Amino acid sequence: MNVIEATGRWVRFRVEEAGRAGRFLEEAALAFGSVRSWLPNATLQMRRLGVDSLPIGLLIAVFTGIVLALLASYSFTGAVPLYFVGTLVEKTITLELAPVLTGLALAGRVGANIAAELGTMRVTEQVDALETLAYDPDSYLVVPRVVAGTIMFPLIVGVAMIVGLGAGWLASIGLLHLSSDEFLKGARMFFSTFDVEYGLVKAGSFGFAVTLIGCYKGLRARGGAEGVGNAATQAVVYSAVMILVLDAFWAMTWLHGRS
Amino acid sequence: MKRGNDFVVGLVVIGSVVAIVLFALWLSQASLGSKQRNVVARFTDVGNAKVGNSVVIRGVQAGRIQSIELEPTGWVLVKMSLDPDIKLPSNPVVVLSESSMFGEWQATIMERAAAPDDADVQQQLAQSGAVGRGSALPGARLPDIAQLTAVAGRIAGDMSRVADRFQVAFDDRAANELRQSIRNFADLSAELERTVRTQSQGLSQLSSDVHKTVGTINATAVAVQRTADRVDSSTSKGQIHQIMDNVGQASDDIKATSHDLRNASHSLMATQQQLTSVLTHADSVLGKIDRGQGSLGLMVNDPTLYQNGDALLSQMRELVAEIRAHPRQYLSVKIF
Repeated sequence: MNVIEATGRWVRFRVEEAGRAGRFLEEAALAFGSVRSWLPNATLQMRRLGVDSLPIGLLIAVFTGIVLALLASYSFTGAVPLYFVGTLVEKTITLELAPVLTGLALAGRVGANIAAELGTMRVTEQVDALETLAYDPDSYLVVPRVVAGTIMFPLIVGVAMIVGLGAGWLASIGLLHLSSDEFLKGARMFFSTFDVEYGLVKAGSFGFAVTLIGCYKGLRARGGAEGVGNAATQAVVYSAVMILVLDAFWAMTWLHGRS
Repeated sequence: MKRGNDFVVGLVVIGSVVAIVLFALWLSQASLGSKQRNVVARFTDVGNAKVGNSVVIRGVQAGRIQSIELEPTGWVLVKMSLDPDIKLPSNPVVVLSESSMFGEWQATIMERAAAPDDADVQQQLAQSGAVGRGSALPGARLPDIAQLTAVAGRIAGDMSRVADRFQVAFDDRAANELRQSIRNFADLSAELERTVRTQSQGLSQLSSDVHKTVGTINATAVAVQRTADRVDSSTSKGQIHQIMDNVGQASDDIKATSHDLRNASHSLMATQQQLTSVLTHADSVLGKIDRGQGSLGLMVNDPTLYQNGDALLSQMRELVAEIRAHPRQYLSVKIF
């Protein structure tokens, strides 16, 4: 009997959670309409979430490019012409690693930051104070962050693509003794602007998901510092999972079947 | 602070957008602002060609594929952007092919006469050239690695099946028999070689003999010809009749001679019989003599008689001498 009750409780909890998330999404979408409320704060959030995250994104891109070049060289030696190092670095960086690795890194930094900040505001009743003062928390707190994340993630990822490819290029010249022309020949051989479009759109979806999850978990924080900590942890975990889910979603819906 | 944020964010956004756009354009080797010459080619199939693939003229990259569109009629139109300074061949066609073994394709613009001499390619060029002549260049597609490997795979499969069947049929026993057959064939070949050599020698000899015979026949023919000429000549002079008369006379003479010979033969036979009889008698006499019969036999076989005779002769010789010396002693001739 306890098992049946536990199952029922788990199902009810999940449905309530989904309903709350759906309602939160709806309220955020509605709040997007009050531009005057969120636009003044958007620049600040873009600075905090985007510009301040550039170093970590670029650092990841540098090492990713270097490792990819060496990895490609190790895999191709003796079997495939070495100029395909450029092809592999370009394709892998633009299509996958720059968006996903940068997204995961920003999920930790941005998601946890948002969840902790909003969670603290929640448990310290600052959000209640805003509501009392007739400020809509969604338009004042959520939308600026979501807009900032959705805009700045692709920009960070785009710069990471450039830096990653540059790092791979330099690593190929310096460590693999590959000529610059050979690397560029490989990089350009199968390059398509779609690669960049795909990576940027994917990064935008990651930014949207990470900031939305951070806001949701932060505003749902309960119980003081421990609740804030849990909210930050859950925000990071859910954001990481959602990034991987979205990565698979875009691959299946947009990349798959495209020739 | 807010204005500072706005500036930094604006700078980062603008800088990032510009950098990303330039990055994409640089990698795709797009040419901004420069005029490009557009060339369109029509294909039945473009294989794995993609927008952005290289366009090559005489092995040199001259542009890129700008778009690939499927027409309602079923043809595929490939639009290529080329450097405006590049001059196309006089009768250009476009051939799509793989530029490497790793799936990258390229469009090659070439002379119609320089197109691959492949029946399928020529047919594609003829078909695409016949449709909308002048509006688009004729295009053809070469088979890609996958098609070639598929064909090679089928061939390999067929060979594998043949090899399996061969392996089934060609066991150890068959191998031994085949080996034995080869040996027999080698022996047979050697025997045939010897036979041929012998026959060749025989034929050479026969040929030589035939050659000689032919020579002889030729000589005979010449002689016959001569004889015939003579006969002809003789016939023409009436000498043949004379010869025949002479021959008839000679025949009569021969017949007479033969008759004489026959008579002589009979005489000889009689003489022979007489001689035989004489010889028989002589033989009988000689036999008797040899056996010491008769006076002559005794004379021949008994030395006493000889000695007596010899002594008698001596005495007679002495008597004669005595008579010669003293004739009157022994002879008294009285006339009256």
